[in-house]
Amino acid sequence: MEEYHSGDEVGLCLCVFIGQCIEGIVGGVDYSQNKVNQWTASIVEHTLTQLVKQGKPFKYIVNCAVMQKSGAGLHTANSCYWDTTTDGSCTVRWENRTMYCVVSVFAVAIAL
Amino acid sequence: MEEFHSGDEVSFSPDEASNVVKECIEGIIGGVDYSQNKVNQWTASIVEHTLTQLVKQGKPFKYIVNCAVMQKSGAGLHTANSCYWDTTTDGSCTVRWENRTMYCVVSVFAVAIAL
Repeated sequence: MEEYHSGDEVGLCLCVFIGQCIEGIVGGVDYSQNKVNQWTASIVEHTLTQLVKQGKPFKYIVNCAVMQKSGAGLHTANSCYWDTTTDGSCTVRWENRTMYCVVSVFAVAIAL
Repeated sequence: MEEFHSGDEVSFSPDEASNVVKECIEGIIGGVDYSQNKVNQWTASIVEHTLTQLVKQGKPFKYIVNCAVMQKSGAGLHTANSCYWDTTTDGSCTVRWENRTMYCVVSVFAVAIAL
């Protein structure tokens, strides 16, 4: 599993949840066309729920992509226009024998 | 091209954002075939260019632009996103584009800045 995060503390805290959520939902299973829709939905919802439980003053956006391993190339990128002192993101790239999963979490501070 | 967007707020216009995204995609990869050497530049250009155009509109939003480009090979690709925000002021827009050799999915998320 590879992790990339921005915004120092903000991004770092996010990484912890993502890996756990992915493992809990697709860890140890093979790619299945019938189930992948449920998986992506579960991953984003579960990750979001865990983040909100933290009770921190942030709005969250969770994005997930699952791709079957077939030799095809997949590239993702993101760019953000925000307050770099308060906002942050974290992207986790996970894989098993049959699929890749890329999850990105973006946290935008709520002005109090 | 398929579009899916949320947010009924007048301030964030998903349609306008969609147009910006479509123009950016077309301008960068319209008419070219998938190339492993160039795809990194493409995804970076798409997100940067889209972001720049959105910021130029001068609206009070923070933006997150996400882009995925996948080579067409018969493999399955599924994406999903979930947001915890103020549904009256924030919104998103996702554009799915394809040509003969690749798929491109771009999502824009706009979070209102409290004034």
